[in-house]
Amino acid sequence: MSDPRSEKPKNPSRRRFLAGVGLAGAGAALAKHAHGFSGKAPEGVRELTVPLVVNGKKRAIKVEARTTLLSALREHLDPPVIGPKQVCEQGACGACTVLLDGRPVNSCLVLAADAASARIVTAEGLGTPGHLNPVQAALVEHDGLMCGYCTPGLVVTLSALLEKNSNPTLDQVQHACAGNFCRCGTYPRVFESALAAARAKRGLGGLQGG
Amino acid sequence: MAGEQKRKRKVMIGTQVEGVEKLVEQEVDEDSTLRWQPREQMKFLGGRLPRVDGPVKAAAAAFYTCDVRLPGMLYGRILGSPHAHARIRSLDLAPALRQPGVHAAMSAVDLYRTLMSDKQQRIFDATELRYEGQPVAAVAVETPEQAEDALRAIPVEYEVLPHVVRGEDALRPDAPKVFPDGNLEVLPPMCCEAQREKDDPSQLSAAFARCAAVIEAEYRTPSLHHCSLEPHAVVVDYRGTTATVYFSTQATFFMLADFARELGLKEGDVVIDVQHMGGGFGAKWGMGIEGRFAAQLSKRTSRPVRFALDRRSEFLMAGNKAASWQRLKVGADREGKLLALEAEQYNLGGLGPGGSDRQPYIYEVQSARAQLYALHTHVNAARAFRAPGSPQSSFAIESMLDELAFRLGIDPVEMRKRNLRDPAYQRQLERGAREIGWHRRAHLPASGALRRGLGCGVCRWGGWGGPGCVVTVEVARDGSVVAKVGSQDLGTGTRTLVRAVVADEFGLPMSGVQEQIGNTRLGHSVGSGGSGCTASLAPAVKDAALQVRLAMAKHVAPLLRSEPEQLIFADGRVRAGNASMTWKQACASLPSAGVSARGEWKPGLSDGMSQGVAFAEVEVDSETGRVRPIKIVHVQDLGFALNRLAVESQIIGGVIQAMGMALWEQRVFDANLGSTLTASFNDYKFPGALEMPEIVPIIDDGDTREGVMGVGEPPIIATVGALANAVFNACGVRVRELPITPDKILAGLYAKG
Repeated sequence: MSDPRSEKPKNPSRRRFLAGVGLAGAGAALAKHAHGFSGKAPEGVRELTVPLVVNGKKRAIKVEARTTLLSALREHLDPPVIGPKQVCEQGACGACTVLLDGRPVNSCLVLAADAASARIVTAEGLGTPGHLNPVQAALVEHDGLMCGYCTPGLVVTLSALLEKNSNPTLDQVQHACAGNFCRCGTYPRVFESALAAARAKRGLGGLQGG
Repeated sequence: MAGEQKRKRKVMIGTQVEGVEKLVEQEVDEDSTLRWQPREQMKFLGGRLPRVDGPVKAAAAAFYTCDVRLPGMLYGRILGSPHAHARIRSLDLAPALRQPGVHAAMSAVDLYRTLMSDKQQRIFDATELRYEGQPVAAVAVETPEQAEDALRAIPVEYEVLPHVVRGEDALRPDAPKVFPDGNLEVLPPMCCEAQREKDDPSQLSAAFARCAAVIEAEYRTPSLHHCSLEPHAVVVDYRGTTATVYFSTQATFFMLADFARELGLKEGDVVIDVQHMGGGFGAKWGMGIEGRFAAQLSKRTSRPVRFALDRRSEFLMAGNKAASWQRLKVGADREGKLLALEAEQYNLGGLGPGGSDRQPYIYEVQSARAQLYALHTHVNAARAFRAPGSPQSSFAIESMLDELAFRLGIDPVEMRKRNLRDPAYQRQLERGAREIGWHRRAHLPASGALRRGLGCGVCRWGGWGGPGCVVTVEVARDGSVVAKVGSQDLGTGTRTLVRAVVADEFGLPMSGVQEQIGNTRLGHSVGSGGSGCTASLAPAVKDAALQVRLAMAKHVAPLLRSEPEQLIFADGRVRAGNASMTWKQACASLPSAGVSARGEWKPGLSDGMSQGVAFAEVEVDSETGRVRPIKIVHVQDLGFALNRLAVESQIIGGVIQAMGMALWEQRVFDANLGSTLTASFNDYKFPGALEMPEIVPIIDDGDTREGVMGVGEPPIIATVGALANAVFNACGVRVRELPITPDKILAGLYAKG
């Protein structure tokens, strides 16, 4: 039986995807925002210059077309944006959740090119250690985090929930968190934190940060 | 005390032997002079303290090993074997080296041979691969994307050999041999006099003859995975004569000698650093093959190299909990008192020994004999996993106890009380029963579609402290306070407790103390394992802080016209009667170097042996077979709980992982292909937000012991059996093989008719 890994790369899935529908999609996204592809690319590999708007800052980045938004943020931007974590690589766990034009998405399932010029907000953009947003502050106060690796993803998910729904029920909070895994087992205190944050936010007004 | 002989005392200390956590007995000096200050004098310890690293974690300003990106850093990736058992016929790294961005590539065979003697090389066939996912080669590449291409470019020719990945297949006479001596290894009996007496076969059969009820049953638990969200990750920055290693590890100091050896450096020239880590649960002890590759490739390329395992590799090569089969024959008298137990326990640890606690686990049985076996398969070796061996054994004996109670018509809580001597259990069982509403048990809906049931289980864990931590506390003339601790914070709240111990000693706010942790330059420390870190570390911090306070008192007392022992450090001030000064003023009187002291572990401050009980309420849907946990209560004692908020979180977390083991999680193999079918987060089901029941963590304040003990492990034990028993109570189906999935419930209901 031939091992797929023993063969030379022919059409790795992501590249094939880009060569077809996805690239057109990426191109469309770029065209919409009036940005082009950079000309030079290594043999067989497309490199693009992608304009990203991360936490309110415009940053251009040169990456291969197959690069995910997650990889672009963590491994290609300099300095890196570390809030989104690479954990499951298949959109199961939500640790890489970012806001894309206000909508929470798994950044491991989005191509960087497809996020061109969209507003990307990560946990860093929602608050700083000195100025936490209500969700972040509540997670700290209610011990809704332990190792903290799932936390930035949950911060993004819950902040987005509270933007949409200022007075969620426990059930709505649970459903919002369904795509965010935590292995330490902080869930009950994450729910508690979200409800407390909603209360605090109703008292305080708008969500801080970008 | 002077003139008296130093009293000795034996303590159990958690340690790690060949990747498996073990408790070893050590003799230490009994130092009865050091105690925690009275609780009312403590502002933080014993309270509910939000984590001091909470804000940086919530705002994503905390750097984990996976977040370390150094200038010029290369990305390491590992190519794993697609076969459970094979030999590498040929492997060519050259095509990978021609790929864009590739700086170095190395085969696992070369890696194994790097540090092997000629003799070892003759004995050990490095070309034989014995589990799916076993590393075959690794690359160091400029971008993660290019690294994927580089792996695909390595042609490997495998000679596929016969494999065996399931225990039942490994027992067949014609099964491929995992080791030359065969697949079944008879583990030696425990050698202590009491055990030998209990092992007397004539006594055992006589004991069974006296029983009013004897039940024989086999219980099975599957292999599970740790699933730390942060994968195993390491960055090695080799600089010729020195090296810095960033490593997501539970045991910072265990890494020092290994990396020094691998890099050919002296231990003094290597620094291991772990500032934050995204979970470990027992899987992150050794340097691992990824650590070795990182070291060798950094050395070859003279660049920093980061290895962060992809999720599939995490499942296949970086940790699992051993499966277990336990055949039990247990008898009790009419009152439910356990008289006789015979057990055959098979530990299925793949290539490793695995482990399950010897039956009858924590119960008192007059006559007992347990034979343990290791059953080997072509699966990567099991690693320590939160309370190694205990959840497996607890599930079996708790289920058995319930079966006996049912047979004898005894209430399950009463059954446990009769077979546990420690008064803590009596107290905790009553407390837990009250909290879950045990009296409702007879009246819960037992027919219809949705049926409710209650069950319970108990647990025990050592959690002893021990020597090994060296802590420095420094006070500078400007009033700043630094506590230097080599230990890592696994996510358990180590930073917070270090700060709280010092703050309480000096009467300062938490913000008045800085902690530096997770670095081998900061003072030796034990690993985060065996629930031993807190109990080993907190006393050392206290010792250092106390010494500094006493030294400061000597400097400050004359200024307040008082004696050093009269001074009170509280509320940011130093007081002597009516005279007082601020902390800053006091510090200004110190010599220019400030005051510092080194502290070590003192036995009077820590203790061990914690008890706990769990009660569970479940709802079983008799039409779909689905089990929904409704409420879980866990009562736990732990001596002096330093941070009640964090302890509760630990309990909740343990309960949730136990729930996963009882109801959802299992590693599934394809026996023919020899491959794991569940090596991703979409295929391996662990507890998520939608499955959360109400969880009530209760710290048992009936425990008046003043020492600190660790509590990371016990909460993962008792809930497993409690859930299985609640399921039986709800629908009358006894599921003896975990996880309790709907198919087993439906099959059980059908069999009952």
